[in-house]
Formats: sequence, structure tokens, C-alpha cells
Amino acid sequence: MKKENTNHTDEKLGALLRESRVSPALPPRFQENVWRRIEDAEAPAKSGSGIAWLEALVALMLRPRFACATVAALMVCGILLGAHSGAQIARHDAEARYVASVSPDSVR
Amino acid sequence: MNRPLVIFLGVLVLGAAIFTGSYFAGERACANMMGGKDDLSWLQTEFHLSDTEMARVRQLHEGYLPQCMKMCAKIAAKKDEIAAALANGTNVTAEVQMKLTELGELRAQCQAQMLQHFVDVSRAMPPEEGRRYLAEMERITIGFDGDEQTMSPSAHGNN
Repeated sequence: MKKENTNHTDEKLGALLRESRVSPALPPRFQENVWRRIEDAEAPAKSGSGIAWLEALVALMLRPRFACATVAALMVCGILLGAHSGAQIARHDAEARYVASVSPDSVR
Repeated sequence: MNRPLVIFLGVLVLGAAIFTGSYFAGERACANMMGGKDDLSWLQTEFHLSDTEMARVRQLHEGYLPQCMKMCAKIAAKKDEIAAALANGTNVTAEVQMKLTELGELRAQCQAQMLQHFVDVSRAMPPEEGRRYLAEMERITIGFDGDEQTMSPSAHGNN
């Protein structure tokens, strides 16, 4: 009997509390402001996307394995191209030396 | 400037320096290695001569050099004579004209001798290489590649 009375009182109290809860009016242009704040929060991420790929590239470049491979590739390419050019120079010099030996400038 | 960009540019500069350094090191090493002191080394590599052909070419070359030097000495002496004759006056005298003609004749003799040497050398080579050698030497020494067109009357104008 006593328990029933207590439950009843709790329900009444709960209803009273729900009614007494004040729901304040939203400030003017609340929705617009919310969207603006969301856009502002996303904006730096968009403008920073150019730096993001550069950061990723730099991070890749600074990886020891990638850096070593790149240096090795650059050296090999440089030496091969240089050797090709050196061979051309040597060939040209040898030709000039032979021509000078058989045909001095005074004759030409 | 932000940090990733500075690092990126630094890496690019370093890469360019490594490539350039390797390029010039390779070029110098190869030029030094392939550039021998022998005047005839070019013939062997360019015209793919065997050792036997090369020995014959060398013999011809050594036979030709004293004749060439003799002609060069004559040409140099004639040039000195012309210089002396020109130094004595301000006009192109009959003596200077005669010496210029003699110089021209000496040069012509020298060129004929040189061309004969090229023909002899070309015969010591395989036929196709010999033809290529002769054409190349005529082009380089006599200028049989159309260079004389710049000396033609039309090139000089008719005024």
C-alpha cells in the first residue's frame, strides 16, 4: 500500500519536473550560424590539401630506402649520360688529332 | 615559406647536384679512358679495322708523314717570303703576286699528295669502310660538302 503511494508520487513529480523544464527560444539566425561554423571548420582542411600532398611527398623522400634508391638512380643516370657524352668527346678529339696529323691547317 | 616546401626544394637541389656531379665525373672518366695518345686510334674504332689492316694503315701513315712535313716546311718558308715582301711596301707588287702563285701551287701539290695518301689508306680498308673514309676525309680536308656554295657568285651578290 505504501509502495503504491510512493510510485504514484514519483510519477507526479516526474510530470511536474518535465513541465517545469524551460526550453529557451533559439537565438536569431541560429541555423545559418551553425552552418557557417561547420563550413569554417571544414575550410582549413580544403586550403591545406596542397600542402598535404607536399608533406606526403617530403615524407616519402626522407624515407631512407627511398632516398638511397633515388640517389643511386641519379648517380647511375648521371654516370651513363656522362659516359655517353665523354665517348663523343673522345671520338671527336681522336678524329681532330688524326686530321691534324695528316692535314695541317696551313694546307686547308 | 613553409617547412615541407623548403625541404622539397632542398631535396631537388641536392638531387640536381648529385646528377650533375655524376654526369661530369662520368664524362671526364670516359673521355680520359677512351682518349688515347695514338693519332690513328680514331681510324681503328671509326672504320672497324682489324689489326692487320691497322698495321698497313700505320705503315702508310708513317711513310706519308715525312713528305707532309717537307711540304709544310716549304709552305711555311713561302709564307715567310710573302710576309717579308709585304713588309717592304704598301702595294701588292709583282714579286708578291708571283710568290702568292707559288704558295698556291705548293698548297695544291700538298693537297694532291694528301688526297693520294687518303686513297692509299682507303684501299687498305674493307671496301665499304674505305669509301666512307675517303668521303669523310675529302669532306673534312678539302670541304667537298657544299661549303664552297657560300663562296659562289650568287652568295656574294652581283653588284
